[in-house]
Amino acid sequence: MTAPGDPASERDGAAEFASEWAAQVFGLTLVPMTWREMVDFLHGLTVRLAAMLLAPGLEAAAAAQVGVDLVAAKLIAPEALARTVTVLGGQLLPALGLAGDDTASARLEQIIETLSVAHCRVVRDLAMDEQEIVLRSAMRARREAEDRLRAEQARARHAALHDPLTGLPNRGMFADHLDRVFAGGGTGRAAVCLLDLDNFRPINDSLGPAVGDRLLVELARRLGALAAERGWFLSRVDGQEFAVLLEQTGCPEDAAKVADKVLSAVGEPFHVDGQELTVRASIGIFESPIAVSTGTEALRSARTALHWAQHDGGGRWMLFDRERSAAQVRRYRIGAAMPGALARGEFRLEYQPLVHLATGRIAGHEALARWTDPELGTVPPDTFIPLAEDTGLIVALGKRLLTQACIETADRPHRTRQPPFVSVNLAAQQIRQPGIVADIAAVLDSSGLPPDRLQLEITESVAVDESPHATRSLQALVALGVRLAIDDFGTGHANHAYLHRLPVHGLKLDASFIRALNPPGTGSKVEAILANLISLGHTLGLTVTAEGVESPAQVDLLRTLGCDLGQGWALG
Amino acid sequence: MEPGWVPESVDVDRPSLARIYDYMLGGFHNFAVDRELARAAIAAMPDAAVQAQANRAFLHRAVRFLVDRGVRQFLDLGSGIPTLGNVHEIAQGIEPQSRVVYVDIDPVAVSHSQQILAGNERAITIHADMRQPERIFADEQVRRVLDLDEPFAVLAVAVLHAISDADNPHRSIAAYREAQVAGSYLVVAHGAEGVRDEESKRLLEIAARTTTPLTRRTPEDIARFFDGYELVPPGLVWASLWHPDAPSQVPDRGEDSGNLVGVGRKL
Ligand SMILES: C[S@@+](CC[C@H](N)C(=O)[O-])C[C@H]1O[C@@H](n2cnc3c(N)ncnc32)[C@H](O)[C@@H]1O
Repeated sequence: MTAPGDPASERDGAAEFASEWAAQVFGLTLVPMTWREMVDFLHGLTVRLAAMLLAPGLEAAAAAQVGVDLVAAKLIAPEALARTVTVLGGQLLPALGLAGDDTASARLEQIIETLSVAHCRVVRDLAMDEQEIVLRSAMRARREAEDRLRAEQARARHAALHDPLTGLPNRGMFADHLDRVFAGGGTGRAAVCLLDLDNFRPINDSLGPAVGDRLLVELARRLGALAAERGWFLSRVDGQEFAVLLEQTGCPEDAAKVADKVLSAVGEPFHVDGQELTVRASIGIFESPIAVSTGTEALRSARTALHWAQHDGGGRWMLFDRERSAAQVRRYRIGAAMPGALARGEFRLEYQPLVHLATGRIAGHEALARWTDPELGTVPPDTFIPLAEDTGLIVALGKRLLTQACIETADRPHRTRQPPFVSVNLAAQQIRQPGIVADIAAVLDSSGLPPDRLQLEITESVAVDESPHATRSLQALVALGVRLAIDDFGTGHANHAYLHRLPVHGLKLDASFIRALNPPGTGSKVEAILANLISLGHTLGLTVTAEGVESPAQVDLLRTLGCDLGQGWALG
Repeated sequence: MEPGWVPESVDVDRPSLARIYDYMLGGFHNFAVDRELARAAIAAMPDAAVQAQANRAFLHRAVRFLVDRGVRQFLDLGSGIPTLGNVHEIAQGIEPQSRVVYVDIDPVAVSHSQQILAGNERAITIHADMRQPERIFADEQVRRVLDLDEPFAVLAVAVLHAISDADNPHRSIAAYREAQVAGSYLVVAHGAEGVRDEESKRLLEIAARTTTPLTRRTPEDIARFFDGYELVPPGLVWASLWHPDAPSQVPDRGEDSGNLVGVGRKL
């Protein structure tokens, strides 16, 4: 040991002491100090303590600062203070060569007390500060979690109501909005314009769905700009379908103007991926007082009108019309009811006589289909026949009616030498059936009706069909002995070349000619045309029948013109 | 944050591992529920706090070691509550360009961490689950801070034992390894089986009451985390024995530090 007060040895002693101190507390700090840094730090403190020991009086603030600095170095654990107290009390004075120095010893006690108090106080403050921090962090974390939850809920809500591709309100949201508007009551009016792209499919198919999607996004942007400017509620309701809800319209024309605007906006070429795309759209419009409709009906009606627009060739708008729709609905119900009616045998025949105009004798009857449905009431043939043709039911229906006509005619008693024939319509689709000739032969066979008592009426459109099958079938039917008449003659084709080719027996002049004769005997053009048609028939050796004869005057005139047979109210 | 992931709400009425660990280190970022559990843990394992401190000290040495070896990027999984010697303080203290991403599942730890790091462009904290590496690497902020084309160190210090076998932590670590280029590092500290098993068992029972229960693994299972890495000397050792700072810091019984630790370099 060196003498006290020797600066050189004092420094050595301080360094040694610092190492010892560090060894006691190093593991207890939580600051990432290296061993070296810790020893240096504690050496600095030791030097300050040595100065305090030797100073004439104790500067309490300096002693307290040592405690504060220990805390700053995160030597805050109770153990750190305890070991510091122990090492200071036991080893500092000897290390500094002050062992046995009573003044220094008393001073050291003061120093230890002061720095311990400071250490404890600072640690307590630190504890309270950190408590505040962690509480605030917890509150912030909770707030953030709630914010995230809210944001997520908002996002989910938005996603549930919007189309992910275009960001527009989706069908669900549109329907909700529509329902609200139409449920609102009051005297206002509103409209829905439903838009569909006519030629989207080919674009999508040929250029790929990615281009298709971008096109839709572009379209949504364009319509979105219009909608934002004019306060429309725009939605993408389906793949390539967009809907606009217009509130407070005054009349259907208001909606039609919007549809015009939309169509012209859609008509501007689109530039997608360096390609110029031209699209065409159709729009169905429904416009109505809100009091008399509902959101569901509005959208459904707009869709119906959209189908009309598309059916008419697209590239246009169409306004929903209740009557047209009602007629369509009725046609739909008729079409749906027919197969059942046929199965239940609800179609019956009415026979209209074909009368020799010269003698008044009955030459034959035309079998006319009649149908009365329990719910739909009496459905006229000019409604159900075209429908049956559309659905293909005409084949079964035609065969059924033919069979019925043959049986009923064969069964009807007659006394004349030349019993009347029955004339039955044969539809184009029936002729196209592969087994048609055999079918008719079988019907004749089973009914027992002689073939020459059956006349089949075909339209000119069938007659001009030059397909080998149709021609062969008609020839085969004639070969069976069946008579063939051209129905509705004079209305369809100006070219009558088929009359050479087909073994036709008669012509039936369309009722429209006869109707146009009123008032009869005025020497009208119609009269001249009729005279011509009749003489054409006679030149070819054909029987000419006039349909739709409604007055005795017409009977007289037709007789004068040399027409063979007549058919209509005036003739029973 | 990716939409669709809503972390569960913040529950400060349940003890949290992050805050208990803070208490063990001598910090005050904890609540009464945490301290109560921590005291129970110390009753079961009287030197639990010393073990925590030894673990933290190892983390400090490992980071310094890696910075010395030229590592400039750190992904600290289960980083805990900051304040007491954080990775970015050490790394940026030596090499200011160092970049650090902290990940923790504890919302309070994350929130506090984010406050501390506000304004530090090279260090961020994200709230995520380390069992979902894809999410972490997909995070935009993470990608801004970490350059995955350069080596980075994955720190999994005292966190893997918070993940049960059912969640397959080895697979997660393999996913982190897949994301690393050669020359990257993995740092692991993990509570090991085979020493003081009675006390450990009681400690685990207590930990089961926190939001993140603990598990312990055999040295072999711990070593398997380093598949695909080469352990730097001295290999997998007790925390206090890994590159001790000074001879005085080497305890008589190294196994008392509870955690086996290692630093591996990706091959
Ligand atoms: C014991 S602390 C370790 C802190 C720091 N790594 C250290 O060694 O000093 C464990 C931390 O891991 C976090 N943790 C637990 N499970 C986690 C998970 N699945 N994903 C992310 N962090 C998790 C806890 O919230 C806690 O903060």
